[in-house]
Amino acid sequence: MSGEYAGVDATPDAETESPLELRDVVKAYESGAETVRALKGVDFAVERGEFVSVIGPSGSGKSTMLNMLGLLDSPTSGEVLLDGVDAATYDDEQRTDARREYVGFVFQQFYLIDALTAVENVTLPTVYQRDRGAPARARNLLRRVGLGDRLEHRPTQLSGGQKQRVAIARSLINEPAVVLADEPTGNLDQETGTAVLEEFAAVCDEGVAVVTVTHDPLVNEFADRVVELVDGVIRDVR
Amino acid sequence: MSGEGDAPGDGPPDADDSAAGPGLLERFPAVLMARRNLSRNRLRSGLAALGIVIGVLAIATLGIFGNVLQLSATSELGGIGNQVIVSPNEDTGRETLSPRDVAAVERIAEGRGEAVPLVTGSAVVTGPNGQTFAQLYGLDRPRALFEARSGRLPEYHRQGALVGRSVAERLDLQPGTAVEIEGQRLRVIAVLAETDDITPIQPDSAVVLPRESFAQDAPSQVVVQADSGEDASYVASTVRERLNAREPRVSVFELSSILDRINEFFGLLNGFLVALGAVSLVVAGVAIFNVMLMSTTERRGEIGVLRAVGVQKGDVLRTLVVEATLLGLLGGLGGVLLTCLAVGALYQFTPLGLDVVLHPSNATYLVVAFAFGVFISLASGLYPAYRAANEEPVDALRD
Repeated sequence: MSGEYAGVDATPDAETESPLELRDVVKAYESGAETVRALKGVDFAVERGEFVSVIGPSGSGKSTMLNMLGLLDSPTSGEVLLDGVDAATYDDEQRTDARREYVGFVFQQFYLIDALTAVENVTLPTVYQRDRGAPARARNLLRRVGLGDRLEHRPTQLSGGQKQRVAIARSLINEPAVVLADEPTGNLDQETGTAVLEEFAAVCDEGVAVVTVTHDPLVNEFADRVVELVDGVIRDVR
Repeated sequence: MSGEGDAPGDGPPDADDSAAGPGLLERFPAVLMARRNLSRNRLRSGLAALGIVIGVLAIATLGIFGNVLQLSATSELGGIGNQVIVSPNEDTGRETLSPRDVAAVERIAEGRGEAVPLVTGSAVVTGPNGQTFAQLYGLDRPRALFEARSGRLPEYHRQGALVGRSVAERLDLQPGTAVEIEGQRLRVIAVLAETDDITPIQPDSAVVLPRESFAQDAPSQVVVQADSGEDASYVASTVRERLNAREPRVSVFELSSILDRINEFFGLLNGFLVALGAVSLVVAGVAIFNVMLMSTTERRGEIGVLRAVGVQKGDVLRTLVVEATLLGLLGGLGGVLLTCLAVGALYQFTPLGLDVVLHPSNATYLVVAFAFGVFISLASGLYPAYRAANEEPVDALRD
């Protein structure tokens, strides 16, 4: 909050501080001659251990909002706060570090690397970190999501649900404060989708915040809170 | 299971990652990742490396072959570079050198080689087995110019005959036999060895006699066997300068300057050949550029994921540059190996000597070709790597 730089590893001194917060975030794109405003002043915050589902029609700016939360994109105006620190002060290297240490990503298309085994995929965020404990942590995480017998399998040998659980394990490898998931059940049938959502719920129980962006009404059953994004503005649904 | 226990602290009961040990690769993750990425598409990596193989092979073989050509030519021509032959100027009508001129040449050559005054003539030589026509050389110190095939060359030549190899064969002469030349009976002391050198003094079909045995013993030429090519050109130019200052009294024949020209020519030829090889290597570089561009475009999403989950730009860049460099190292190694085979074949199928084929200067071409191959690959990888590393992850993941 003060001008002082808080590293991404800084332990939050106030439990009330939101790990991730958007304040009056506006995002405008130049599209040809006209300017398209995808987000029109979004205020949003998650608490530790909270499962928030963001819903809304396609083109409402859901993915843009998730990119803002994940430091993959910068707002045109407004603030993205990590533990109360404005991410606008970060350079590219610090943003990258923050994505690795603070945020976990889960994508609709899983984005696993086919040439790597499950364990190697999970340790992917750490490969350049000389993190010798990572393979052991990866194995533990994979066991936790029920893939203890698939450790050395490659993504092509796994089902969709198993792939997404590998992706969840990957998002947790650096013990993040927040996991961001873009349509995590989009490519899964109802049954495996439920299993994946149960994993998210378990993640929340450990104090990690989960934010999903989805069309899938099933997600809302697991979420603590549902917000709707319509025309670039947030509205609480539940 | 936890017996090995090299995992730090909180290691769960599980054997450590056994595939890639905690060695060098763990310390250089970019190398590990690059190797992994290359082995994912072996055919494409192989083809890209093949381009470098051919380029390195072209540079190295062309360079070495040219160098071998030059080396064997200069070793063949080596002797002539050191000889200076001073004879009377034909325009003056004289056929012999004056004692003053001979003394002058001897003075100039002092410390730089040996000056041997030479009387020449020709005569019919009669041996036990018939007779033949032979060139006659009269000189005092045969060791300066010739070597013996059998028998011994005297330090100072006072008596007897030294016969060339073909004369000896025709007349069946050996050291000890007697020959008759223009009424004189002479004992053969030695048979001369053939020379590989290109020189106007050909002992093969000649008979070498003491100078005194010639009726007219004024030398028709002075042969200076210099210690080195530089000495030879010094002697030649000084003789020209001193003896021909006022009028051209003598003509000086020396090949060291021609040898320089020949060397210059071979240098040029070599440069040309290597440049030819370099062109093929540059073409190989374009192939690597293309492969790297293709594979980074193909892996765009994957690189986007890496960036999204917290891999730094610099690490992506480094990995991709290492990929290109590994291709270069691989190709360069292959090229060097094939070049060694080609040089082996050159030795096997040509009469070239081992000393020329294994001359240390050939290694320079190997090293230069290898280094150039690696450099070209690295340079070709830079732009694709830069482009891929700098793409915003959102853009890469959007589609």
